[in-house]
Amino acid sequence: MVSMAWISFAARVLVGGVWIVAGLLKLPDPAASVRAVRAYRILPEAIVPTVGYALPIIELLVGLTLIVGLLVRIGALLSCLLFVAFIVGISQAWARGLQIDCGCFGGGGFDARANEKYPWELARDFGLLFASLWLVWRPRAPWALDNLLLHHDRDRTLTGEPSR
Amino acid sequence: MTKKQSKATQQANMQRASERAAAIRAEYERKERRSRTLLVTAVVVGVLILVVAIVVAVQASRDTTGQTAAAPAGVAGGFGVPMGPADAPVKVTVYEDFMCPYCGQFEKISEDTLKKYADSGDVQVRYHVVSFLDGSSTTDYSTRAANALGVVLDTAGPDVAIKFHNALYANQPQEGSAGLSDDQMIALAVKAGADKNAISGPIADLKFKQWVVNSTGNWSKSGFQGTPSVTVNGETIKFKSADDLLNNVETAIQDALAK
Repeated sequence: MVSMAWISFAARVLVGGVWIVAGLLKLPDPAASVRAVRAYRILPEAIVPTVGYALPIIELLVGLTLIVGLLVRIGALLSCLLFVAFIVGISQAWARGLQIDCGCFGGGGFDARANEKYPWELARDFGLLFASLWLVWRPRAPWALDNLLLHHDRDRTLTGEPSR
Repeated sequence: MTKKQSKATQQANMQRASERAAAIRAEYERKERRSRTLLVTAVVVGVLILVVAIVVAVQASRDTTGQTAAAPAGVAGGFGVPMGPADAPVKVTVYEDFMCPYCGQFEKISEDTLKKYADSGDVQVRYHVVSFLDGSSTTDYSTRAANALGVVLDTAGPDVAIKFHNALYANQPQEGSAGLSDDQMIALAVKAGADKNAISGPIADLKFKQWVVNSTGNWSKSGFQGTPSVTVNGETIKFKSADDLLNNVETAIQDALAK
């Protein structure tokens, strides 16, 4: 169905765009990224720095692969895992009464208004999680490198050609 | 005698044969596609993992937190700019960023009170300056101001450093601005009692930059995410406003003294 494929395309642009912005904003300051990860107080200190260095580039790459449509299903799966991790992180910070900026788009740390923001951050992450789940289910869409690399018989329903 | 097949049977056999051939061809193409998909996936995933590994290494080298740094002379406990005697029974640690407006509010109401406790000999206050708000000015003012405080402590001692620290908060720049210039900070330091010739070079060269980076790392590892954060004898003080914070600090000091 044509409309389904375009929903997938829109989901790729939306989720991919968010990841690209989130990754790019965090790349310039690795020390701040490490502190933001530490502020959640979930991970042991031994791996906090590595996670802090790795997260921004992973986010950027997930975003880029979704936008250009390269290995969409794998990218969407990774996107789901990241959103689940962030939803768990934000929820437990909220539940434990930590008042931290989620650090979702850089920054992070103490935020006196954090408790008002948590519900919105969770709503946003749930929305993006569902968009990512959709892409795991229906990864194929127009304008994707996957169509050139992976499928010789491009799905003709996408282009409207009659199938043989 | 071989039985001659009817024309219809021959045709049916031929059609079956060609259908079988088509099925074999389709199966072959399907396998071909699958192996191609696996190959492309493996190559792309491999390249992406390599990119992540390289970037992690680059980021690790860019983050200097924890590298050895010379601390200013006269520092208390590695990062504290001290006010009050080192043998005071109560230690109050104040974590703050010179760009943080909330710290400015806290300073405005707490300076006299904390000085009173320090002068009585009951309390040593240690100001830990951090630089997590460098992004809130256009010139990394948090780092520059914290470095300048280290330079003044190093060259002119704690009393002058505390006066300079208070002067920086009295003249705190707006969030998002360029902050005070080096010359403005030097003028305030000289007014507080520092020697201009001794401080100008190290302030311009950010002599204690790495010390400030480590102070920020220490603050984060101590479990703090924001400023101001205050501990009294190691206990973190909870608060909802600057007034609340000062009240709770005073209560904690009284409790500690009563023990």
